[in-house]
Amino acid sequence: MHTNGNPIVRVQNLHKWFGLLHVLRGISLEVYPQEVVVIIGRSGSGKSTFLRCLNLLEEPTSGRIEIDGIVVEAANGELLPESRARARDLRLKTGMVFQDFNVFPHKTTLENVIEAPIVVKGVPKEQAVEKARELLRKVGLLDKQDVHPIRLSGGQKQRIAIARALAMEPKVMLFDEPTSALDPELIGEVLAVMKDLALEGTTMIVVTHEMGFAHEVADRVIYMEGGVLVEEGPPDQIFTCPQDPRTRQFLARIIESGRLV
Amino acid sequence: MEVTNAPLSPESDPDLAVGLALVRKARRARLIETAKVGVVWLVLLALLTAGLLQLRFSPQYVFQHADFVLRGVGTTIGVSVVSILIASVLALFGALGRLSRNPIAQGISSFYISVIRGTPLLIQVYFIYLGLPQIGQQLKALGYPQLANVFTLTEIQSGILALSLNYGAYMTEIFRAGLQAVGHGQYEAAAALGMTRWQMLRRIILPQAIRVIIPDVGNQFIAMQKDSALVSLMGVWEITFRANRLARKDSRFIEMLLVAATLYWILTIVSSWLQSRLEKRMAHAYER
Repeated sequence: MHTNGNPIVRVQNLHKWFGLLHVLRGISLEVYPQEVVVIIGRSGSGKSTFLRCLNLLEEPTSGRIEIDGIVVEAANGELLPESRARARDLRLKTGMVFQDFNVFPHKTTLENVIEAPIVVKGVPKEQAVEKARELLRKVGLLDKQDVHPIRLSGGQKQRIAIARALAMEPKVMLFDEPTSALDPELIGEVLAVMKDLALEGTTMIVVTHEMGFAHEVADRVIYMEGGVLVEEGPPDQIFTCPQDPRTRQFLARIIESGRLV
Repeated sequence: MEVTNAPLSPESDPDLAVGLALVRKARRARLIETAKVGVVWLVLLALLTAGLLQLRFSPQYVFQHADFVLRGVGTTIGVSVVSILIASVLALFGALGRLSRNPIAQGISSFYISVIRGTPLLIQVYFIYLGLPQIGQQLKALGYPQLANVFTLTEIQSGILALSLNYGAYMTEIFRAGLQAVGHGQYEAAAALGMTRWQMLRRIILPQAIRVIIPDVGNQFIAMQKDSALVSLMGVWEITFRANRLARKDSRFIEMLLVAATLYWILTIVSSWLQSRLEKRMAHAYER
């Protein structure tokens, strides 16, 4: 799927230090429009940190990030001054879905979705509501539009979070272990929504432990370990004949635990 | 899997009657418990009254002059309400200053809190009532009459200023804790949606923090109603000032102090009741 012209995400030599911990050790990655990239790897490999650097929830220590023409650069543990001014522009290019949903508990389902378009983008309310209802229909929650999240299941909350991110019309969707906090019987409904998005041509970067999803939906799977991208390729290649011994070891352990479908 | 409040019915559980009987029994036990405590209160009040009557306490004097003190209740409530509102604003900015990474904001906030918490309220009251006019006079002498007017406050303004400044400093901790009680994920979600810090605070963080803050502010308000007695020193005609005035005139100290104390007590009981109702209502705010 590298046929869609120029990359929409371009990361060059990204480093992140937490104190003396070198979490990201020079990551470079290009993601093309409409591509679904799934990052796998054990916990502590830096995959979540990498994703969180892409919208500057974590500030990279050094390196360059470009998303849809917005460039942000860091050096010596600081964003360059002109990059700092562009931080919000970069965030507006991305939509993020968190492991813990982070829906706004004081707002109803609909209010969660219309909040940012109205407050951040200044979209007129009727227009925001119309768009939000369309998104809620897409994630199957239109009937819950006036309900507060406390009355909803984890799967429903996560689907609100997805609709909330989509309402800002981001160029790239970032999913940070979106199903890891869910009860097993609720994982399917969230993955189904994500699969629909992928089929519609949404550009997505997904960090997940759901190997079945990676195999079925990803255009490209990346194995990450120790803060570097160890190996990448089409899912069939990564899951059936991984080249790097570290990838093989990781997948062997996954198969052992019965999580690879 | 949705969280539902399905109505209970004998069909859903044939043993429902057992549960209902248990609940009724527990409720009756609690009522009896409360009644017993009430009886102890009545006995204590009766003993106190009997003791006072032994001491040639004059109920007639109390009945004749209570309404003079009663007219101060409005002032006490007014001063307290205005002060708690101003104090809340100060506390919010104090908390934002403490949590800010800006050294000027942090410095102003921590200096304010340190000075106010490090000095007695009584000194602050005297400073504002007696010290500020002195500054005003000096400014006038230096040829700044407009500036001098700013420092010349009425009794009520002085009282409100003293209580607001004092409580604002103490309540900063309450607001800080409230802001920090909102999960980190909420800040991140708002930031990821592109909100500015101010939008985040106003739309996402404060509305959630308020739920944590309100009960504590209620406690502060209840405490402030009593501390407002200190502004009687400034000549504000509130409960304590009025009681004291009559007591001195007629040498009826016990009578008038009792009237004042009782009024504060009733105010406290009513405020506590209002507060517990408010808390219950807020606990349900996110449901349905």
